[in-house]
Amino acid sequence: MKKRMILSLSLAVALLLCAVPADAKKVVLTDFDKRDWHVVEGMDNDAPLRDYAILYDAGGVDGAIGVIGIPSMRTYRHIRTGVDLHNFPFSGSNAGNNNGTPDGKYLYVSDKGSDTIAEVNLQTGWTERIFALPKPFGIHHSAALSPNGKYLFATGELTGKMLKLRLSDGATTVLDIPPAPSAPDYPDTGRNGKYVFSGNYYHSAVMVFSQNPFKLIKEIPVGKNPHGTNVSPTGRIVTVCDKLSATLSIIDVEKLKVHRVIPVGAGPLHNQIDTLGKYDYISSFVSDSTSKVDLQRMQLVDEFPIHYRVGHNSIAPDNAYYVSQNKFSTGLFTPTGIVFAVNFELQDIDETSPTYGKSVKIIPVDGEPHEGRQIFASYIQRWNTGKGNDLFTKGYSLGDVQISFNDKGRPGLRGPVRPQIEPHHTNHAKKWWVPRDNGKPGMTKDGDVYVLRIKAFSYGYVPRFLHVPQGAKVRIIFTNIDKAAGLTKNPDVTMGMVIAGYYGPKTMIIGPRGMSMVSEFTADVAGEFEFYCQHFCGPLHLEMRGTFFVDPPGGTASLGVGDYDRVSEQELLLSEGESEWLVGTNKLRNTLKSGSEPTI
Amino acid sequence: MHRIEHFLKIVFLKVIILKGGELVKKINFVLATVFALGLFLGTQTAPASAGVLGNGSSITDNMHIGEIVKIGNRKLTIATKFEKKSKKYKLVLHKEGYVMTANRGEFKKFKELKKGDLIAAFGYYKDKKWQARRIDILDPNDYLVKRLAADAAAGSYYKHER
Repeated sequence: MKKRMILSLSLAVALLLCAVPADAKKVVLTDFDKRDWHVVEGMDNDAPLRDYAILYDAGGVDGAIGVIGIPSMRTYRHIRTGVDLHNFPFSGSNAGNNNGTPDGKYLYVSDKGSDTIAEVNLQTGWTERIFALPKPFGIHHSAALSPNGKYLFATGELTGKMLKLRLSDGATTVLDIPPAPSAPDYPDTGRNGKYVFSGNYYHSAVMVFSQNPFKLIKEIPVGKNPHGTNVSPTGRIVTVCDKLSATLSIIDVEKLKVHRVIPVGAGPLHNQIDTLGKYDYISSFVSDSTSKVDLQRMQLVDEFPIHYRVGHNSIAPDNAYYVSQNKFSTGLFTPTGIVFAVNFELQDIDETSPTYGKSVKIIPVDGEPHEGRQIFASYIQRWNTGKGNDLFTKGYSLGDVQISFNDKGRPGLRGPVRPQIEPHHTNHAKKWWVPRDNGKPGMTKDGDVYVLRIKAFSYGYVPRFLHVPQGAKVRIIFTNIDKAAGLTKNPDVTMGMVIAGYYGPKTMIIGPRGMSMVSEFTADVAGEFEFYCQHFCGPLHLEMRGTFFVDPPGGTASLGVGDYDRVSEQELLLSEGESEWLVGTNKLRNTLKSGSEPTI
Repeated sequence: MHRIEHFLKIVFLKVIILKGGELVKKINFVLATVFALGLFLGTQTAPASAGVLGNGSSITDNMHIGEIVKIGNRKLTIATKFEKKSKKYKLVLHKEGYVMTANRGEFKKFKELKKGDLIAAFGYYKDKKWQARRIDILDPNDYLVKRLAADAAAGSYYKHER
């Protein structure tokens, strides 16, 4: 009896000890924190007044970079940048995981809508230069940084091309990637300067390029429709999200072949590998989850549920948090307009935390963000306390390194000048909504106006090929006829249409269900222009595209026939006088010593 | 010429008719053996490529985890951690390289590093030198570091594939 009592008591004590919660994650105040007047004491909650990290997101359809605090998830600002933003690296070096090794100066974001790359100055918080890519190019997700931080590699998804760009002046070399159809998708660069890897969803393969000289080496077959393609921090493997195969292909960088194929949640889209290369967190769109793969054991080890239909993702620089960037919201938020709010969901991935694997915060966000990357807040200096002059003189220090804005050899930046550009999101665009139009798809004429009735559905357009003569007045009547949005079964999928490049700022058509949008513009520039859906609508959203031909007098537009030199000048994107901060254009096409310049 | 072709055809047909049964038996046996062998090989779990992925760290890796065992002017030697067998590598700090502490975004000078610090170094091997673009001082209590240590103790070593 006594023994039983002792045993019971011991058990009760043991249970009590187990029930004591682990220490909550404390915000440790450093000297760096103490200089901030509003940080008064260490706090045990997850929302200190001062965020230790900043999440930058390429805002997609709102044409702006979102700046969000981690872990508070407060939105600090939006940086106006262009038409439809997709992907960016930070300047510095690509060493490490997706967040790289930043120097705190810039991020370089690809604008699929205007076919440009914008240079955003993180210290001023404004766009500073625009890289006008040679035309016709047809950017998509761009843009991976070389190890030495001097070059970008960008993917021309819409035209089947790849590009190497010198960041000092915008000089480029462009490669054609046959056979058509070809869609170089998400790129990443080897950390040792050897290769660039990019998925090609039409080829169901990962393409391997040499960084220097810049050329295609081989294609590695992977699962169906590869999307997120990322090099691990060790540089040994590339992880590839096989979107339609629900697998993760692991490529051996030394042997350039698939080493393992790991089953993950359905609809894998993007990878986030932690800084030590241990775990890869994968956004799985169809299974509404975050798949956690152990890259050492090469197996799926955990899966966290997310709210609904994740797209991109990002990871905190200290590996404590992960943000699931969801594409739909299923009525979670108060309606504030025709298009529903997409959302960001903060997940705790610290295995020692009491809330490990849980969603700890969810916020509605502006636009329809794509790539997200995070850096420590300490990279961004406090210039507004009388220190502004330092921005032009001594700069700032990151430990042993003194960072300054040396503009020698950078076109348009003569003397102590830091531009503040706010590129046009839409320009010369006249748009309005009307009740749902039930007219037959195709082209008709209304006087001298070419009326194009376009129907959009998961996943395509009718008609897909549009021809108008140069100088024509064009009226697009755009109708979303989607019923259940394919795999997503989401009732409120918004469709869209942007004619990429010159006509990007003129179109940006938004198609919620139940109504039509009309857009009128003049087709004043000849050429072949791809159009695509800019509002995420499901797994095959990327494949939703068509071609808009503006035929010159007496000819038929093609990728070889068009006013491409003029198009590359991006006249609709910038205001008068700002073109001095536009670099690159067709004048510098293939001037990069045929792509042979060291990247490490 | 036609006669020879005709003769060959007849011989071939006779072989098929007369020896058909035997041939089929032999072919069946060979096919079955090939199939069984294929099945056996296909179910093996050996990695498709052993190579560098299974043999611990290499100087050409773009990242190393290790303890500082020697430190000099912008250069140091580390002994790698969490591997089956620790290796020593000499690292130099790239001219644009910097040091961060485990204290969420705090920077430190290289000279403040000390022997025994556990670090992760990110960079590349160039001109016969491993050049660090960034050195992170790791917190032994960080969950990932703890996980790597626990895995190694259980026989699952860093940069080795099981």
